[in-house]
Amino acid sequence: MPSQSLDRTVREASGRIIAALAARFRNLDLAEDALAEASLRAAETWPRDGLPRDPAAWLYRVSERCLLDTLRRRRRETGFDLDPPADAPNAEDLLLDDNRLIPDERLRLIFVCCHPAVATEARAALTLKLVCGLTTSEIARAFLLSETALAQRLVRAKRKIAEAGVPFEIPRPEYWPERLDAVLSTIEIAYSKAHEDAAGAGPHAGFAAEMLDLTRLLADLLPREPDVLALAALIRFAEARRPARIGADGAMVPLSEQDPALWSWPLIIEGRRYLGGAAGGVAASPRVIQALIHGAWCGRKSLAEPAPWPRVLVFYDALLTWRDDAVVRLNRAVAVAEVNGPQAALDDIACLDTATLAQFPPYHALRADLLRRLARTVEARAAYDAALALAPPSAEALWLKRRRDAL
Amino acid sequence: MKYMLMVFENEQNFADRNDMAAMDGLMQRHIAFQKEIKPVHVGGAGLKGVATATTIRTNGGKQVVHDGPFAETKEQLGGFYLVDVPDLDAAIEIARKVPLMKDGAIEIRPVMTVDAKPIA
Repeated sequence: MPSQSLDRTVREASGRIIAALAARFRNLDLAEDALAEASLRAAETWPRDGLPRDPAAWLYRVSERCLLDTLRRRRRETGFDLDPPADAPNAEDLLLDDNRLIPDERLRLIFVCCHPAVATEARAALTLKLVCGLTTSEIARAFLLSETALAQRLVRAKRKIAEAGVPFEIPRPEYWPERLDAVLSTIEIAYSKAHEDAAGAGPHAGFAAEMLDLTRLLADLLPREPDVLALAALIRFAEARRPARIGADGAMVPLSEQDPALWSWPLIIEGRRYLGGAAGGVAASPRVIQALIHGAWCGRKSLAEPAPWPRVLVFYDALLTWRDDAVVRLNRAVAVAEVNGPQAALDDIACLDTATLAQFPPYHALRADLLRRLARTVEARAAYDAALALAPPSAEALWLKRRRDAL
Repeated sequence: MKYMLMVFENEQNFADRNDMAAMDGLMQRHIAFQKEIKPVHVGGAGLKGVATATTIRTNGGKQVVHDGPFAETKEQLGGFYLVDVPDLDAAIEIARKVPLMKDGAIEIRPVMTVDAKPIA
């Protein structure tokens, strides 16, 4: 059996197995170690004896036995008690094996990984590792960290969970909104890593797929939470457009110039289904509004159709009542420029705090574009230069350079 | 699991110790809080102000006794509660309710145990 299919089985099943074992034994390290040992045994026995009827169930059973063995060994060492050794799986066990028998405790595991007592910068990495089954080296590449640094971060986070007594429970209803928000922000951080890589060929590309899986899982487990559905929708809309985000020449293609024919329509349809459940047309939270904005864009069938700027502006106005910050204001100004003209947009961003925005390439890029359209060429050139000086990602840099040189 | 809930407040908020109504109010809230957490309340105390603090610092084996708290910070340890609850979430829930004069912070720390209990 090719080792690739073993890897895939392990990755797909690992979240459920670790969650189920950790829920039962209240120990993440024991659960992880047991799965690692079971995977080693699979690598030995599967090629020799053939693939088990249900590989995930096999891994779960063997992991469970490994974990029980470890516990017995530890008890013997500390002189506590002596249980009989674990039985080898018999024919009956193997017939009964069915991965539907693995209790699904992944939601609890997600809440543990995203507990506010876990360092913010470790939550996304821990979720990708334990829930999505990514390897430490994959996560390290995505977060631009050395493997050692990331491994240390994971160890510290797991130690905190164990020693501070973070419970393996779904939070109580009164803390639900706060805790769910921590989970969703973690997924947003992880996804923004994947999204930054516009071409989708870099180290993050792989886990954009994990983010689709993770949001699907959350939406299945929490089908009545508008924010969960909105995030599932938003990630689908954003992923759907990935093939159109970079032109043949390697330069970024702005949203309004992307050819909808290149978008992934199955993902857009899936996204719409989630958005329908989240909003029913009502802008109930910042996440729902953001999903509505992405949804508006993904409603465009071809470049011949007018861009949905007026609707987008309405949504940004709504978003502003929830979250009045510089990033929202900048995004809104892009729509203002299209609906009310570049001067109106320039006036809008003139009142923003330039000190904090000076380090933010999209601020300079937007100013440059507005000044260009107002034929203020010298100022536009300076703004393009300011954006480029901040070393934006290469596809964006190429696009900015082209605009500047066309002045 | 036992947790220590350390109450950090700005002593400036207590500057007007003649404001008996405010001090009484806070005291009443602590008494009510203690009543509420009675089943898990293991211990605790309020501390006198940092002006009464004395610190012994050991550095390279040499000990120096000096006046004042170990660190001059805006918020100072003003008291603590010791609670015995199942997990961190339960401790957080209790810590949210610790009465404060005004603003402040509650640090939650698990208390070390000496018995080497086997896992699970």
